Amino acid sequence: MNALRKIGDSSWFVELVRVRVLVILLATVVVASVTVQGFMDPGTIGLSLDRMSTIGLIAVGLTVLLIAGQLDLSGGAVLALAGIVTISLQASLGPGVAAAVGVLVGVVTGSLNGLLVVVLKINSLVATLASMLMVRAICHWATDSHPISGKDPFFGLFVSTALIGPLTFRTVLFGIAILLLWVWLSRTVSGRNLYAVGSNAVSATASGVRSNLYLFGGFVFASVMAAVAGTVQSLAVNTGSPAFGQTIVMTTIAAVVIGGTRLEGGRGSALGTLGGLLTIAFLVTAMEYQNVPAYVQDIVTGAILLLLIILDSAVSGKNHNLLTIAALKRRLGRNQTPPEGITQ
Amino acid sequence: MTQTTSSQAESRVMVQNRFSNVLQWIAVPAGTVVLIVAGSLLSPKFLTMSNATNVLINMSISGIIVVGMTFVFITRGMADLSVPATAAIGGILALGLGPALGTLPAALVGILAATAAGCVNGLLIGYARVNPVITTLAVGTIVLGTAQAFVGGVIVYGQDPQIKEFLTSRLFGVVPVIVLVFAAFAVAGHLLLSRTVLGRWSYAVGSNPDAAQASAVPVRRTKAAAFALTGGLAGLSGVLLGLTLQTARPAIGTGYEFNAITAVVVGGVSLLGGSGSVPRAMAGLLFVQVLTNIMVLQGVPTEPQGLAKGLLIAGAVALDVWLRNRGGAK
Repeated sequence: MNALRKIGDSSWFVELVRVRVLVILLATVVVASVTVQGFMDPGTIGLSLDRMSTIGLIAVGLTVLLIAGQLDLSGGAVLALAGIVTISLQASLGPGVAAAVGVLVGVVTGSLNGLLVVVLKINSLVATLASMLMVRAICHWATDSHPISGKDPFFGLFVSTALIGPLTFRTVLFGIAILLLWVWLSRTVSGRNLYAVGSNAVSATASGVRSNLYLFGGFVFASVMAAVAGTVQSLAVNTGSPAFGQTIVMTTIAAVVIGGTRLEGGRGSALGTLGGLLTIAFLVTAMEYQNVPAYVQDIVTGAILLLLIILDSAVSGKNHNLLTIAALKRRLGRNQTPPEGITQ
Repeated sequence: MTQTTSSQAESRVMVQNRFSNVLQWIAVPAGTVVLIVAGSLLSPKFLTMSNATNVLINMSISGIIVVGMTFVFITRGMADLSVPATAAIGGILALGLGPALGTLPAALVGILAATAAGCVNGLLIGYARVNPVITTLAVGTIVLGTAQAFVGGVIVYGQDPQIKEFLTSRLFGVVPVIVLVFAAFAVAGHLLLSRTVLGRWSYAVGSNPDAAQASAVPVRRTKAAAFALTGGLAGLSGVLLGLTLQTARPAIGTGYEFNAITAVVVGGVSLLGGSGSVPRAMAGLLFVQVLTNIMVLQGVPTEPQGLAKGLLIAGAVALDVWLRNRGGAK
């Protein structure tokens, strides 16, 4: 029992939890390369990175927004709308300009979210839920609920063909985005200000940081990244559909949170998000190669997410020790019974 | 002289407060009345018995979830995003186990399983104080995956058409049984919130958790109870949905979480916790249902309905925030 207590309180345990993203990522890679033949092939890795890049682009924007303490549920709908705009305008504007307009969709929807949250002071969960419903409605309206396909099937090919080694254009695009995010968050004053806004917007304002500007900018940035993801994805498959991105926001939030970003704001990092994304990408690829059904993949992803958020709450802030083994033992010892069950 | 001005200012504030309070109470019911008048002018089919029953049946499944979601909102639990999963597991277990156990025990197992999922939510959110959004997301993913694994990822079909007939049959020739079930739970939820200790605790926890803790209110247990309750009620909704449709897909509960949030928010229950009631949430639900019904009768396609719903949510919350600031209430 003493040994157990030592583990719970020891600093290396806490340290291990701190770098949990790396631990879980390494564990995934090791298990995957042992169980799946050829998992470490450049081709396989390139494929899973390519598939991750769409989620990754949204995750870059969402990381910024979550650090600022806000949430955006509308990313999936924005992704669909940007794709539809990109494809449907190809005939009249040419594919290049159409893609640019697709990205601009994100500016509009992001400004709408910013308006609702920053100006009208609506909670971001409800505000972006409302904008999600509206944007999705526009998607269905514009396409009559049918997927549409582009005029020039060859234009979008460059997006998903290998560019550098096994890495495709969109993988490289995501790589650049996450690199810039890392530089911005960890090396610049405005990046540091973002953390201040997320920890406590009122104190940040009092210290001379223009919190509302950061929040508004965060919403626009997150929406633009979702629009970029949508544009790139629709070019790759030469299709725009109102059904795209139905569940993508949930997966993205999961990846970002696995990477150590907290929904309460003020905490998170670009490298953590990268770790979370890679974990999910490798996990999904490995399980698909093993013919694991989609619902079992969901269970595994959900369980990892749950495990990591519990560990996070265990080692952070007020709840320190709440869930360590020693603390649990103390609690049980005091009450003799576990915390009383919940009755309806 | 100064006293007069200050008392004048005070009375002006009081008038403003009263105005805000009245507006908060009157807005949704008045809006519903306006909708009903407009609906009956627009369509001759609107004010008929069969249409009214239709609206009520549509309300019932969402309504049971709304009761639970009201508790979550009032205890400042943000929202329960695991509703689609808990509803699905209720429906899937009720139909999947039906042939082996009999319909009622199977339904009970479904509701218990959903309640168990709700308890996990509650333990994590109430006791470990993890963010509700991410917790219910994770638990929802696991529960839905488990439900699908249980049936092998396919659609389950029911084998008890009698229960379907019973649920949609009309008691006393007027009210469908399923509506009565909903009404019973709505009334029970209202009494639980307004007449019991748990209800008072819920308001205390939502309006000021620290003060509630200091007053020996079991904050953790109260918050956990809200999520356990929502899990159980969503399970019940899933069971009723599965039994009336006699099919259960894993996606059977999709969208119900957003429907419930919409109703609660439109009813003026605040996301900031501590205020609101079951009747207000029900008024919000009725408003949304009547609006949807009018749009359907007018032949408005499904898509612009989403646009209207989105605007409605944004408008309702903006109004709530504005009234709170204006009334000087927290």
